[in-house]
Amino acid sequence: MNQQAPARPMPDEPPPFLHSWRRVYIGVLAYLAVVVALFYLFTRAFAP
Amino acid sequence: MRPLDWIVLAGALASMIAYGLYKGRGSNTVDKYLLAGKTMPWYAMALSIMATQASAITFLTTTGQGYADGMRFVQMYFGLPIAMVIVASTAVPIFHRANVYTAYEYLEQRFDSKTRALVSAIFMIQRGLAVGLSLAAPAIVLTAILGWPYRATTVLIAGLVMLYTVTGGVKALTWTDVQQMGVIFCGLLAALVTAVWLLPSHLSFFDAVSLAGAAGKLNAVDLHFDLQNRYNIWSGLIGGTFLALAYFGTDQSQVQRYLSGKSIAQSRLSLLFNALAKIPMQFVILFTGAMVFVFYLYQQPPLLFQPVELQRIAARNEYRPVAENYNRAFEERKLAADGFLAARRASDAALKRESLERYRRAQQEIDQARERGIQLARETSGDRNFSDTNYIFLAFVTRYMPAGIVGLILAVIFAATMSSIAAEFNSLATVSVIDIYRRHIRRQASDRHYLWASRAATAFWGCYAMIFAARYGQNLGTLVEAVNVVGSLFYGGMLGVFVLAFGFPRVRGTAAFTGVLAGEAAIFYASFYTSISFLWYNVLGCCVVVAVGLLLSVRRARIGTV
Repeated sequence: MNQQAPARPMPDEPPPFLHSWRRVYIGVLAYLAVVVALFYLFTRAFAP
Repeated sequence: MRPLDWIVLAGALASMIAYGLYKGRGSNTVDKYLLAGKTMPWYAMALSIMATQASAITFLTTTGQGYADGMRFVQMYFGLPIAMVIVASTAVPIFHRANVYTAYEYLEQRFDSKTRALVSAIFMIQRGLAVGLSLAAPAIVLTAILGWPYRATTVLIAGLVMLYTVTGGVKALTWTDVQQMGVIFCGLLAALVTAVWLLPSHLSFFDAVSLAGAAGKLNAVDLHFDLQNRYNIWSGLIGGTFLALAYFGTDQSQVQRYLSGKSIAQSRLSLLFNALAKIPMQFVILFTGAMVFVFYLYQQPPLLFQPVELQRIAARNEYRPVAENYNRAFEERKLAADGFLAARRASDAALKRESLERYRRAQQEIDQARERGIQLARETSGDRNFSDTNYIFLAFVTRYMPAGIVGLILAVIFAATMSSIAAEFNSLATVSVIDIYRRHIRRQASDRHYLWASRAATAFWGCYAMIFAARYGQNLGTLVEAVNVVGSLFYGGMLGVFVLAFGFPRVRGTAAFTGVLAGEAAIFYASFYTSISFLWYNVLGCCVVVAVGLLLSVRRARIGTV
């Protein structure tokens, strides 16, 4: 068994949707912003 | 437990083990045993990552926190999507292309062998402590709730997990995790629906949510910045990002999940699925705890949810006045809750304010009486960290839920425990063999030799976890915090060295090594001599590692140019 396997070339495949990883990442961060905003509204709506 | 519950529980456990053994066939090389031959699709890795992170502690304590402390704990997960984006765009392609078994193997490619050895040792100390806690947590609760012997419970859980992890490696545990996440999703949904269904018939769902909100249980976002406050939006977004970065980017129990992916794209998708699903899942768990709170507004809860300690304090003279206060406060709170709902329906602002004040006062009285009960338990047991938070949800489940659902919820607790500790056994074995044994003890041997060494190491860590849990588990306080605090003592240093590796190509091995030592020293200092909340340790440790690493590199460059 090799002690140290050599680095291997791996192509950077595009994501199955939104055409680029950059767009997917922006989508995830936008989702986070929406979730936090919804949770804030939820907290305010039922605050004592 | 009724016969149907036993059938559901036994059926779920048997199918998990059988599926794990079946799926783990053919793991006959080191590559297949430790990385599943890099054949895993994104959805299997995604559910495995989720299952690994969702330990039994998550379900037992998080529902308890929803009941006792409200939903503010959800903020701890706000940093997770940010961390997932960073890990997916940096660590995933780097680790895949480096063709490594462990994240720490990459550190030798990037720095030197001493940095790899130091970080591997830190991982084994930290994960070794956590695996004992992960096993002890459900064992303690199942012992108290079901009356099973504690040591037998730890041996049963760890033994079941070892059956399929020792033989089938990462492939067996990943596919078993998929099945276990299915059980967990079903159990969660059943718990929430049943908790709402068990509410008194005169309450609408909106009434129940209003009562939980009025008692301060729906505090999902707190904008107030406070370094000593564990859960607010800032500690969640900043501290939570660093914690998740360290966990998903440097902890081998997670890195190994996505290293088994078919491609970089599949590994990225598995992490991004978690970025989307984790916060709603935590929200549902906490909301279930809040609904259990509303249920207990009309059904008197026990003074303590830990039945053994409750019996012990009931024998003391001080118990009676505390229990009488508690009973009185419960009746007052029930009336106040109904008064609040009536005022809300009447849309009378002054009456609503007055009834809300009465309801909150009654809640404070209940909290004070319960606190006094917990104090009594602390005095009686001699455990000054005693808390019954971990028992709240299971006490509710076993007492009020219908036959079949109790078995399903217990299957969830077992599934969550098994998925977490399986990943821990596997990752600890991988680091022991790849980073220590193969690197420093037996450098040239056959693939078959290292395969058997990996199996033996998995069995060793399983036995170690059993012994640790049996020996120390029963003396621990609130376990979820114990696990998070232990993790935070080490994660900052580990994260810092990977930030240096990925982001600062000029930094060399000795600077990184010294940086890790300085970062760990800073974290331990903060832990022992300051009151900074543990979520900030990761930020502190990471920053110190990067600063020291950069300073030493600049100094070395200056000496080199003179």
